[in-house]
Amino acid sequence: MKKGLLIGLGALVLLIIIFGLMLQGSYNELVRLDQETETRWAQVQNVYQRRADLVPNLVATVKGYAAHEREVLQEVTESRSRVGSVQLSPDMLNNPAAFQRFQEAQGALSTALSRLLLVVERYPELKANQNFLELQSQLEGTENRIAVERKRFNEAAQAYNTRVRQFPTNLIAGFFGFHPRLYFQAAPGTERAPTVDFSS
Amino acid sequence: MRTLVTLILLFTSSVPLAALEVPSLRSRVTDQADLLSPEQEAQLESKLAEFEQQESTQIAVLIIPSLEGEVLEDFSHRAASQWQLGQKGRDNGALLLVALQERRVRIEVGYGLEPKLTDALSRRIIDQEIVPRFQQGNFFEGIDAGITAMMGAVRGTYAPLSTRDKAPQFPSPLIPLFLFLLWSLFWSRRSRRSRSLRRRSGHLHAEDVWMMGGPRYPGSFGGGFRSGGGFSGGGGSFGGGGASGRW
Repeated sequence: MKKGLLIGLGALVLLIIIFGLMLQGSYNELVRLDQETETRWAQVQNVYQRRADLVPNLVATVKGYAAHEREVLQEVTESRSRVGSVQLSPDMLNNPAAFQRFQEAQGALSTALSRLLLVVERYPELKANQNFLELQSQLEGTENRIAVERKRFNEAAQAYNTRVRQFPTNLIAGFFGFHPRLYFQAAPGTERAPTVDFSS
Repeated sequence: MRTLVTLILLFTSSVPLAALEVPSLRSRVTDQADLLSPEQEAQLESKLAEFEQQESTQIAVLIIPSLEGEVLEDFSHRAASQWQLGQKGRDNGALLLVALQERRVRIEVGYGLEPKLTDALSRRIIDQEIVPRFQQGNFFEGIDAGITAMMGAVRGTYAPLSTRDKAPQFPSPLIPLFLFLLWSLFWSRRSRRSRSLRRRSGHLHAEDVWMMGGPRYPGSFGGGFRSGGGFSGGGGSFGGGGASGRW
């Protein structure tokens, strides 16, 4: 009789321990994924900043050869300054309006830059300029980095979101206030900025 | 852990998974298009191996017959990341990718090499060293000149690693267990406080780092990736640096 009680008590304690460990595991998993999306987001912002930093130099170089392409140059400069004013901190990653503003501002700069690179085609001297070539390859490299970091952020955010929504983690997530995050959504084929081929 | 995340991604990812498979890494020169003779491969291989001995930088060459519709930069980044070229923490790896049918070539540069092998320099290596030779059909010479230039760009940047290829190991399996117990105790006391703190400051706490194995490469504790052959990546990561070209 007494032995049975002891066994029952032991089993109960064991169950509580197991439950506690499970809870702890889920919680820590959420914290880790949450932290990772923030790290990834910081990387995304880094590479966008890197692109923005290239623009003034690029504009100055192009101006030296194609000063009368005023419209395109102005578009680039304006979208560059707009990008600077639309920053998005990690805690705003679940604010759709802010996220869209961010994406639109960066998208406008992408469009302006690819237009600029198209215009440049008409200026063989500029295309032969070593400084311009360096800037151009840096810009291409940075666009590629943006694609990479966006993809990594999306992967992190999706892993996090899945965890937040899955049963039974969603109960823990709800209790501790973990909310799903937004990620970049692009129609297939538009994830990459359009590339301009200069070789032909 | 990583496999779990990968699995989750597999089933939830809205990004279509790429079709072209990255070949498994067996040697520094992977020629899937039979572009080079075995002697030429061996020659490049030994050159790259010697370079790695000296500089700890891992450079690999991948030649594929076709991209099969995939974007060059996507595939290149995927291959370099999967192979984990470069030493962990130093990220000093680079990949020279040649896609025969599309006549495209790319140099993919690891995070740690970006300051030396810059985008502009990679582009110049492609334009000046590789493309002219490829255009004449001299593929071996082009690749040879390309990796020679890449090595030249890197040389002097990294001292040889004395403890190369040795991932830090716990002396006893009991220690992680002990750490885990300690950490669980620690967690149960601190969890609420540390989370609110972290939210505000954005700083990593000891337990997070422990969980993630370092801020930039979550979950990738090197190792785990040892094919039977003679060469394997050291755990380096890639951020999309480098340049692409066509011939």
